[in-house]
Amino acid sequence: MPKKKFFLFDCPRAKSCCDKSQYRESKFKEKIKFLLHIIICGQCREYTSKNSKLSKLIQKAEIKKCTEAEKEAHRKKLREASSSNKNN
Amino acid sequence: MPKHSLNPDKWVDKYADYLFNYAIVRVNDREIANDLVSETFLAGLNSKDNFLGKAKERTWLISILKRKIIDYYRKINSQKGQAEVRVNYKDEDNNGDWLEEQVADDFDRSAEDDMENEELRLAILECLNEINEKHAAIFKMKTIDGADTEAVCNEFNISPSNLWVIIHRARTALAACLEKKWF
Repeated sequence: MPKKKFFLFDCPRAKSCCDKSQYRESKFKEKIKFLLHIIICGQCREYTSKNSKLSKLIQKAEIKKCTEAEKEAHRKKLREASSSNKNN
Repeated sequence: MPKHSLNPDKWVDKYADYLFNYAIVRVNDREIANDLVSETFLAGLNSKDNFLGKAKERTWLISILKRKIIDYYRKINSQKGQAEVRVNYKDEDNNGDWLEEQVADDFDRSAEDDMENEELRLAILECLNEINEKHAAIFKMKTIDGADTEAVCNEFNISPSNLWVIIHRARTALAACLEKKWF
């Protein structure tokens, strides 16, 4: 599919800007260009809608993570158990 | 021939977060949840010869964790007096109508909301296990931990433009996976 280029912003750059916006890392100038782009580009509009929905779902899920120290403790216990199993 | 096999070396990286999220909503204590996850891995390692390969590795580990959670509640409930529900305030300064204060607020999250959130949480983690391992690790650090772009780039030794390409791929794969599993 040919890349659309509206208002000096092509689709890959618009999608990248949309991704950055999810983390509040897009610049003001980029945002304006992005908004102008999605007025005309249905494909990027759909991507933006899905992307925002994904961000909301991730926020809603309140995912918790083990810290690296906790993971290392699990690894250590597994290694010790594994080596003692081999010795027996 | 068994459909699935076990790879204990990868368990912590692949399933620690998934099992931890499953456990923490049930025991509501970070330390206990981590202990249960550890015990699950050890029990899995000790009984890996009994694995028939019919279920997925994750499903098998979850079934062990479920048993560990049941055992945990049996243990604390068997200790005399531990399962007793206290309906009075401990000191006089802190008094009020205990029962009235326990009535659920209409605006509070309901049990259904919590259940839905848990299912969603596990669906997201399942999907993250299915996408490219490196992409998932970068996505987790950036999105779930909320790390700075610079910190992620330093950790994985990649350029910022590379990071955004990876984030884009991870988000696209995750959205496609969630569309199948969640919607």
